[in-house]
Amino acid sequence: MSADPPITRRGRAGRSRALRIGVGGPVGTGKSSLIAALCRELAGEIELGVVTNDIYTDEDARFLRSEGVLPAARIEAVQTGCCPHTAIRDDISANLDAVEELELAQGPLSIVFVESGGDNLTASFSPALADTQIFVLDCAGGDDVPRKGGPGVARSDLLVINKVDLAPHVGASVEVMVGDAAAQRDGRPVIALSLRDRELISPLVGWVRAQLASWRQGSLNSTDPGPPAPHVHRHGNAAGSGRT
Amino acid sequence: MGRVLELVLADARTPSGGHAHSGGLEAAIAEGLTVAEVPSFIRARLWTVGRCEAALAAGAAAAGSLAELLELDLEATARMPAEPLRRASRQLGRGLLRTACTWWPDDRLLSGYRAASRSTPRPVALGAIARAGGVSPTEAARLSLYDDAATVAAAAVKLAPVDAAVASGWLVSLAGELEALAAPAPWPEGDPEAVDPWPPSTSTPLLDRRALAHADRDRKLFVS
Repeated sequence: MSADPPITRRGRAGRSRALRIGVGGPVGTGKSSLIAALCRELAGEIELGVVTNDIYTDEDARFLRSEGVLPAARIEAVQTGCCPHTAIRDDISANLDAVEELELAQGPLSIVFVESGGDNLTASFSPALADTQIFVLDCAGGDDVPRKGGPGVARSDLLVINKVDLAPHVGASVEVMVGDAAAQRDGRPVIALSLRDRELISPLVGWVRAQLASWRQGSLNSTDPGPPAPHVHRHGNAAGSGRT
Repeated sequence: MGRVLELVLADARTPSGGHAHSGGLEAAIAEGLTVAEVPSFIRARLWTVGRCEAALAAGAAAAGSLAELLELDLEATARMPAEPLRRASRQLGRGLLRTACTWWPDDRLLSGYRAASRSTPRPVALGAIARAGGVSPTEAARLSLYDDAATVAAAAVKLAPVDAAVASGWLVSLAGELEALAAPAPWPEGDPEAVDPWPPSTSTPLLDRRALAHADRDRKLFVS
């Protein structure tokens, strides 16, 4: 039944813990739904856990539990005291604690998703918390957002442009968004996604599988998005080139 | 090392997870506490929870063995009847220990305590870290008191209409009282048995009851 190679306490390549995938991005871009979709696709073959970061409620954790994609005990909520950015970057104590306790109680797990509270474009995960990170934007938030850049847009391991099905309804151009993003990402992947379209989900699932495979081989190369890069206005620079 | 370490431990930028806690202020405001009453709230904490936890921190700073630290765990837990407060204190203690064990991976008492303690109450963890860094028991007590007060003041800025300059001023105006609570240590260093009761058993039923209500509350910013 399981296509997931068995891992021992030490893991296959000396890994003693699960791969931690950070999922960040502004409020309402679809981080929780993206995690739910990944769990739906992968839970049958990979042992998963989720830690959500809640700014005001434990709604994200409850949403995921209600989706029924994972046993409720595999989903843990961390309270961040108004500081979603702090909790994933400057002071990751509570998140690390939650991840470790989840693994201890439910493990061994292969992947733990850490969902950041919705934040602004400067948010990025500490490399001590996330081994690799996905930054999620959506078409409805405005197609100029990728052009504005920031560490998540430019240097996350994967950038997702979500809700592409909404683009025609809000006057957004998916081409411009993907193009503007790709132009800053130095070849790092960008995925245009709609969770309503199964075909568009498969590249995302493929990316997660590939990350897990490299993690197990000990060859995962994640980038720390780090601080916001100096802002550059690309006046007159045609968007849409170098799309991934 | 002690004096600078004291500053590092008092600095909110040192990671411990403290930014997600309000020292019971969010629950108090939910029950009608006003901004003007926050300084009194801080004082009330200092004389009750604060004094008790300061004694525990001092005791841990004076402790020379794992057994003594684990004994203090029990003393702390016995004085913390509300389960959400035990959880919150454990989380903060674990956060502090994680950070300190990164600084001093070879401190056997510290890493032994981190591995063996199930409750890691914040003041005991803080005291154990203080000892490892050469901070005296009295300084550990002062740190514990300051941390308690500063947690509430910082949270107030997010919970109530108050200027952060005013909120930090509350700490300044409480400085003398805070010093007094920490300085004439009511515990002879190294001999906790000599004072009775030790540490003080300052029960705070209202804080306990509110902590239980807070844990069940749907919309909140802070863990505790």
